[in-house]
Amino acid sequence: MRLPVGMRDWLPHELARKREIEQQMRAVFGRWAYEEVQTPTIERFDVLQRGLGAETAELLFQFNDRRSTPLAMRPEMTTPVARLVSTRMREAPLPLRLAYVAPVFRYYEQPQEGRMRELTQAGAELIGAAGVDADAETLFMAIEALDEIGLQDARFDVNDARVVDGVLAGLGLGGDAALEAKQHIKTRNLVALRAYGRPALLEFALRRGGHEAIATVRELCATPESLAALDALDALLQRADSLGYRRRVAIDFALLRDLDYYTGFVFEGYVEEIGMSLCGGGRYDSLLPRFGYAAAAVGWTAGVERLLIALERRGKHVRRRRHRIDVLVAGSDVVAARERAAGNVVRYAGSELGEEALIHEARVHGIPRVVIATNGAVREVRVGPRVDELPMPRTPSNWDAR
Amino acid sequence: MSDGLTIALPKGSLYRDAAARLRAAGIDVPTDVGRKLTVRTGDGTTLLFLRAADVPAYVEFGSADCGIVGKDVLWETDRNVAELADLGFGYCRLVVAARRIDRYHEGAPYPTFLRVATKFTRSAETWFADRDLPVELISLHGSVELSPLVGLADLIVDLVATGTTMRAHDLVVVEEIGESTARFVVNPVRFRAKYEAITALLERLATVPA
Repeated sequence: MRLPVGMRDWLPHELARKREIEQQMRAVFGRWAYEEVQTPTIERFDVLQRGLGAETAELLFQFNDRRSTPLAMRPEMTTPVARLVSTRMREAPLPLRLAYVAPVFRYYEQPQEGRMRELTQAGAELIGAAGVDADAETLFMAIEALDEIGLQDARFDVNDARVVDGVLAGLGLGGDAALEAKQHIKTRNLVALRAYGRPALLEFALRRGGHEAIATVRELCATPESLAALDALDALLQRADSLGYRRRVAIDFALLRDLDYYTGFVFEGYVEEIGMSLCGGGRYDSLLPRFGYAAAAVGWTAGVERLLIALERRGKHVRRRRHRIDVLVAGSDVVAARERAAGNVVRYAGSELGEEALIHEARVHGIPRVVIATNGAVREVRVGPRVDELPMPRTPSNWDAR
Repeated sequence: MSDGLTIALPKGSLYRDAAARLRAAGIDVPTDVGRKLTVRTGDGTTLLFLRAADVPAYVEFGSADCGIVGKDVLWETDRNVAELADLGFGYCRLVVAARRIDRYHEGAPYPTFLRVATKFTRSAETWFADRDLPVELISLHGSVELSPLVGLADLIVDLVATGTTMRAHDLVVVEEIGESTARFVVNPVRFRAKYEAITALLERLATVPA
């Protein structure tokens, strides 16, 4: 009886923590006036491939239905939401603010912590809004969301994908050489970048900071798009400063996201002690046009499991919340129904248990009241604070299910 | 000097040069590790002493901020780490080799069913797959150069530094897969989180003489 590689079960106390984070995320989305949508777990393969490009399509769990229609599990939510918006919501007035909390599936060859084959994404998409206002909304919502779940020291690095293009053009790199260099910048492979014989390229890939970093990179930029992108980043930083985020938001010019639909602003959020990003997003103006709908869009998403890992590493999960039960009822369906109707959480005990056993059961589960019905008489017993702790299964520190 | 960085260091052949380079960069690295697993230096740096092949994993998961490791190990482990500098020492080549008498190095055709023995399974697999060569890989853990001599394998994929071992067993290089030297690698997220410390260390590593 084994689980498929990279999948896991969630026991009640584990799921309770995950749900708590999901609810906190939903609360933030709601406060920013985003409405939650749901799309099917399984999509047609061609839809996902159209959104993701060939490289990411390699990550898909893929299969056929009985009529040989190629299908796949969604590996992220932005493409399904883009499909939804360009079909059934096409007449809806823009901008649209949509959110989701949903499981996604990725065929990683080697699943590992924070890179499971099934993971939960909580994210938001702002569709039909171009410009720095929309970019800023996305970033600030992400900051508030991480604050909300208790990661108030999370930091955020931002960039604009067009800056790299402008710098590469300025250095006289084009075509395949530029694509290759971009890949090395993304992985920050300075050893490979050195081979291009352009010291400015190395300096660019290491450049990170605030307004002053923008000033140095401006001299390298050759295209009007990249200069506009620098202006937008400058404006974004200024707005972050005014919200008190100066120390939490920085520009990393080598930050480029994995998915090829990003066209401009991108960001990632992280905490110092975890070696992977917790959330990220950006502008993807090219995605909806792939579905025949000319609309700009920007969005972000967080990995719920990664957020849990970050919290768990800090011991923030340790105070495990037990399922709250208000009353233990024995011997009467009617009494139990009345208690439930009054809004209480009722645990129903069999009528064969004696009073002592019932009180013990209440103690074990931390239930403050016991109501016992025998032969038409109803008695209530108050149970003192719980004495003995019920041993709970240890939580694996590793989220891998192998 | 390094603001509390945790640095993963490979025990074994790279250690001496890696330690010397870090010392030149101002970090108080011991000459002899002995049985120690980790050391905290006077300047607050934490050093982890690891099997070379384990360095990328420690860095990818962020248990170390950065580390020093051979490019051959990066090929083989394929971990998500950023390669910030080529430190130049620890030069060796990853090669495909065979017995001289098989004349593969002079273009003799490979047998239909090609067996390849190696400690570098992933690198070998990728290299042969890229050439559409069907091979049976045999994963070994030591003395790979013995395998062609006793008929276990037709080819081996192995590291060559000076070539002495190969010559001693009358083996020759058929093809070179790549050249390897020691690299300074860093966790991509930790690069941002500890930007000042890591770039300062990078600069000192890059400017001190090898």
